[in-house]
Amino acid sequence: MARKSRRQQMKEEVTKEAEIDMTPMIDVVFLLIIFFLCIDFKILESKLPAYLPKDKGSQPEKVEPQEQLRIKIVLDRKGEKSLRPAAKHAYYLVGHKVHYTVGPKKVETLDELKDELKKIHDDPNRRVPDPKKPGSKKVMGVVIEPDTGTVYGDVAPCVDAVKFVGFDDINFGGGLGSETGGKYAKKPRKKKK
Amino acid sequence: MANLDAVQEDAKLDMTPMIDCVFLLMIFFVLVIDLSQTDLEDLILPKAKYVQPDDQPPDVRPIANINQGGDVIYKGNTYYAAAQHGENYEGMKKLLVEWRNTLKLTYKPLKEGQAVSAKNPNIPDDPVLVRADKWTEWHYVGKFMTACSQPYAQFWKLELAMSEIDKEDKMLKAQKAK
Repeated sequence: MARKSRRQQMKEEVTKEAEIDMTPMIDVVFLLIIFFLCIDFKILESKLPAYLPKDKGSQPEKVEPQEQLRIKIVLDRKGEKSLRPAAKHAYYLVGHKVHYTVGPKKVETLDELKDELKKIHDDPNRRVPDPKKPGSKKVMGVVIEPDTGTVYGDVAPCVDAVKFVGFDDINFGGGLGSETGGKYAKKPRKKKK
Repeated sequence: MANLDAVQEDAKLDMTPMIDCVFLLMIFFVLVIDLSQTDLEDLILPKAKYVQPDDQPPDVRPIANINQGGDVIYKGNTYYAAAQHGENYEGMKKLLVEWRNTLKLTYKPLKEGQAVSAKNPNIPDDPVLVRADKWTEWHYVGKFMTACSQPYAQFWKLELAMSEIDKEDKMLKAQKAK
């Protein structure tokens, strides 16, 4: 076999070094594709704290009733059921509409509700006595009363606004009766014979 | 000598593809494990307008999923099926008692000298996360909340789950675009 000249050897080495290895780049591209495909699955969820009555009924001391801010979620229109895209059984309601009442005042949108709540929260005359710290005052508690026929999508955003404004003591009332009547629906009293 | 060098050069292992494969496998398993979390049902949550995302969830937080039909689902198992069980809430009770018995809950500390009794019950301090579909009627959520406050459960801290984006809105827009 003929020996390669020094010139030929150098030429081969130069050619060898000039080759670009595409493998890592392709791998990185695949990794990026997988990352961006999968990132859609991981949607961050938020949480809104709310509390149920904890000690009521078990306290031997008398508890003074406290003034609470009542927020009613009133159903204007239930809406028509329509099949949700790409879902077999799930539906959404077309034309579903609610409004809110904060005390006696009626508000239509969440932003209006938030503004109204902010006014009440910032008003020092609307504070109530703090039973834990006698002599001091605190922000009043809130009772949310969803109307019959309201949905989770009406109540949760309302809690969102209440929490955002700065109310911490959030309770729920009403709204437990189903449309067809149920455990919580008012039953007619039996006549005594 | 030159031959020996050539043999040594050939014997070098290129580690790059192996490392890449390992990374791909790692990503695959991380994602598969995350997606197979049966805690979270495929529900469309209402969009949060103001509240901040839940960055640091507590160590113990049972998650109750309530779908549009009012069924209460935990880890893929339906404990209460509204259409089937109706006014019989034994399934909800079973779930809440199971949480109390099996989860490592933190309880509200009792005052000095107090013992656990009917008057001073063990009240869990861990929150329950309620995940309901945007269009789930509120009275179904209300029923679950009522069950939470019963003497057999006494879960008093609740959290309502919301989402950063409105997936339904996205779906409807995509449908219109077609």
